[in-house]
Amino acid sequence: MSELSVATPGDMAELRAMFAAAAGPMNFIAGGTDMLIAGRPLPMGGLLIDLSRVAGMAFICADDGGIRIGGATTVAAIAADRGLALRLPALAEAAAQCGSVQIRNRATVGGNIANAAPAADLVPVLVAARARLGCIGRDGASCELAICDYTPGRGHLIAEVILPRNGLLPYSAFVKLGPRQDLSISRLNIALLAEFQDGCFGDVRIAAGALGPRPLRLPLAEAALAGKELAPATLRDFLSALTAEVDAAIPGRGSQTYKRRAIAGLGLDLVAQALGLSPRGQLFEEAAQ
Amino acid sequence: MNQLSRRVPLVDGVAKVTGALRFTADLNVEDLLHGALVLSTHPHARVARVDTTAALAVEGVHEVFWHGNTPAHFYNSSIWFSGQKALADEQMFPQIVRHVGDRVAAVVADTEEIARHAARLIEVDYVDLPAIFDPEIALGHAGLPLREDDTPTFLNPVAGEAFVCGDPEAGFAAADLIVETRVTTPRSHHCAVETHACIARPEPDGRILILSPCQSVFAVQAVVCQALSLIPEKIRVQKTPIGGSFGGKAEPILDPLCAFFALKLGRPVIVRYDRHETFAATRTRSSVTGRMRIGLSSDGRILARETETLVDIGAYCTGGNYLPGSMLQRLMRLYEVPAERYSGRAVYTNTVPAGAFRGYGSPQIHTIAEISLDIAARRMGMDPVALRQRNLVGPGAIEPWQGLDLGNARGRECLSRGAEAFGWLERRQRGVGRGRWRRGVGLAAATHINGCYPGFHEETTASLRLLPDGRAELVCALHDLGCGADTTLAQIAAETLGLKASDIVIVPADTDTCPYDLGTRASRMTYICGEAIRRAGVALATSIRAAAGLELNRPADDLHLEAGNVRRRDDAGIALTDLAARLDSRGIELPAATESYRAQANPGSYAAHFAEVEVDRLTGRVRVTDYLAAHDVGRAINPMLVEGQIHGGIQIGIGYALYEDVAIDRATGRMRGDSFSRYTLANAPEMPPIRVLLVEEGEPTGPFGAKAVGEIATIPVAAAVVNAVNNALGTELTELPLSPERVLAAIG
Repeated sequence: MSELSVATPGDMAELRAMFAAAAGPMNFIAGGTDMLIAGRPLPMGGLLIDLSRVAGMAFICADDGGIRIGGATTVAAIAADRGLALRLPALAEAAAQCGSVQIRNRATVGGNIANAAPAADLVPVLVAARARLGCIGRDGASCELAICDYTPGRGHLIAEVILPRNGLLPYSAFVKLGPRQDLSISRLNIALLAEFQDGCFGDVRIAAGALGPRPLRLPLAEAALAGKELAPATLRDFLSALTAEVDAAIPGRGSQTYKRRAIAGLGLDLVAQALGLSPRGQLFEEAAQ
Repeated sequence: MNQLSRRVPLVDGVAKVTGALRFTADLNVEDLLHGALVLSTHPHARVARVDTTAALAVEGVHEVFWHGNTPAHFYNSSIWFSGQKALADEQMFPQIVRHVGDRVAAVVADTEEIARHAARLIEVDYVDLPAIFDPEIALGHAGLPLREDDTPTFLNPVAGEAFVCGDPEAGFAAADLIVETRVTTPRSHHCAVETHACIARPEPDGRILILSPCQSVFAVQAVVCQALSLIPEKIRVQKTPIGGSFGGKAEPILDPLCAFFALKLGRPVIVRYDRHETFAATRTRSSVTGRMRIGLSSDGRILARETETLVDIGAYCTGGNYLPGSMLQRLMRLYEVPAERYSGRAVYTNTVPAGAFRGYGSPQIHTIAEISLDIAARRMGMDPVALRQRNLVGPGAIEPWQGLDLGNARGRECLSRGAEAFGWLERRQRGVGRGRWRRGVGLAAATHINGCYPGFHEETTASLRLLPDGRAELVCALHDLGCGADTTLAQIAAETLGLKASDIVIVPADTDTCPYDLGTRASRMTYICGEAIRRAGVALATSIRAAAGLELNRPADDLHLEAGNVRRRDDAGIALTDLAARLDSRGIELPAATESYRAQANPGSYAAHFAEVEVDRLTGRVRVTDYLAAHDVGRAINPMLVEGQIHGGIQIGIGYALYEDVAIDRATGRMRGDSFSRYTLANAPEMPPIRVLLVEEGEPTGPFGAKAVGEIATIPVAAAVVNAVNNALGTELTELPLSPERVLAAIG
């Protein structure tokens, strides 16, 4: 195999030209927070394209039409963006809890998706928001696919993450359970997007990570809240549904015993955070009884 | 000169933060070769074949070492002087590997990258042998006959210690309440920032110089000589600056290998572990299963106590055979118990060896005892502070095992003043709450030793001499592990000489230039080395005054040392620099003094720690929300460094209580927690607000009244946190660490 060569395109046109010209294997590096850590072999040959200096690949654009985020946008930039925090608080919250300060400063949204870790923190939010990915295929042509249809390792470069307007809901939150407060890989994480008016939930979408090879939607939990009144009985149904989701997702796994219980705590935190309430309030304490 | 009880900054602080100070892996050594190891992937196996062909074919590779071409001498990496009798069961590259991470081979090459690449090309065939990971099962187990005389590779138990005093049966018969517990403590890892590293360099005179971030240059010399079958004169060891140890670098691990490679190849060689290797192939804290039976009278007096400990020391003996005895020693020094029975056993398992780690058995035994005592307090409905107050030893108490005087033991003051400052009673009365989050408070008491007396060679020699520039040079085989021992000891020397700590020039430990010393261990630096240095300082001051007396034509008794001068009562005098110049001009050697100090006592340091926790009953997560540590330190030479030690001790202890476990898989023998992403430490967000309260009543045998704090700082922490969790939940959790899973399982 030929030696590994590294290219650092300066803009999208140059990047696309490399797609067309490259004959052998092609790999991408952005923040490098997963690729460069000890123990993971770098690609031995072919072309390694550094995305961190591609002009126009790091941006956040939140307007009435929806949200678009460049694939090379750092997690720290997502956590700090005010417009995003208003439109989709869950994504800002997930970004703020991803890795450590140093990791957030380098890691990118595209990398978080492409690395495809079961516990990736941004992905449950994107799944719940029905995100679409604007990709560049191996042939240099653009294509768009739903995040659920994305499979890593097919040569697709994630150029941008598209959050269509109709996928966003007014309330959202992200919570995670890790071995410690910061710098931790999620043992369980959940994102919720919801409509909520006059004390009642409307449409609800929930996705969770670390319950399978990739983040998944939790339809039972969604149904337990959708259209229901915010009340202890509803929350109790919701917690039972979350437990049922864990039982269905990881039956017989060593972590099932713990996760089926702990998800109740996360679930209450999730709803409280989405609605701007304290999980220590009476409503939630009653539900926890 | 007012150097005591002062927050003197670290004497090497500026060099550290500016990067001027070089750690071993950063040293610029000419012609340096680099080694990389092949570690066993099997927990117990015969290494049937090592194919080095592909590795040797790599350009830049100088040699591949394995059991076929290296000395097979047995050695024990925990010895601290040459000729020491100890169970020698380690080899550089054993033919039978005894744990995942054991050494199979090493490549030495031009660069570390080449060496690591070539190491991956070495093919190893293993023939698996039965492996044991459970210490209870290990009890009845011996290894395969290996040695020429047919003795097995190991026999269990490796070591034991038994002790009885008083009449335990009568004590239990008279008891109003008998409490029985079983407490298990985890395998924890040191997690020093600097991973293990060593450089060995052939010298022109045929000797090998070892540059090692170690805790004792003499221990390194002894171990290397045993492993290579060399006489000590062939090996010179210098201590390099150390990026943290906590006991993890107490035993030389890479040093024998580096020395042999350098000897064979005639070139300097460095071996530097990465983080994974430091986890998998160095040392851990031993895990201990403790069973305790406590008989109490209704007024809270302990009438009898029975303790059984089973210590998992891992695959090699190292110093693990001492653990049952050292745990007994520390257990006997905290409470006045009229009748005790103790039995401790240490067993081998096919896991990474245990070794020294801050407290050497003390965190284990006090965690077991203090959690047990708290359970007793709860069952008898007695306040845990009052129960401890009733039984704690006081000043001048004699412990029953070695018959030693515990000195000015102020555990009771730590307890009472700590409880008051923490607001113990108010917090206890406030209750734990009713909802999802419960709040609890807990405490634990602890004691630790000051040095190795009456065992071993508990003595040291310090030399101080006046330098021409008016400063003083200190030679005492000192090994600062990053805790600030050099600073504290410089303060002691400076105090006797009318200088500042920064005026003391400390010569790094070197087997060629320093007299023998045990090294940094057993909480002996301030108490033992400090006293030797104080005595040397007093002697040097006397000789400076005598010399100055001749210069000034005054009786020496009229002179005192202050601010770099020798002063008369009327404040006139002579600067030390001028004195040195005058002596020098007349060809007179500058004043110097050497004092040897042999310890006469081993008083106890004492502490009481108080923790408040909040527990989430739904997720099982525990958060330590407030913390107070009260310590009997005799006298704080440097209160800032004392507080620093205590803060760090609490960080290790919270991890020990809640998170840390290398988690050896009971089916495969592999370490699950072998990286920082899988081994959880308490990070900054997990740390509570900490208050430190120092009890400074003075220890008559310590330098300026000082006692040790380094190790005891971490000893009571885990029990205080666990007791707080048990208080919050009404549970009797005794299996550490208290992972969220265990917390949820306990509340049902």
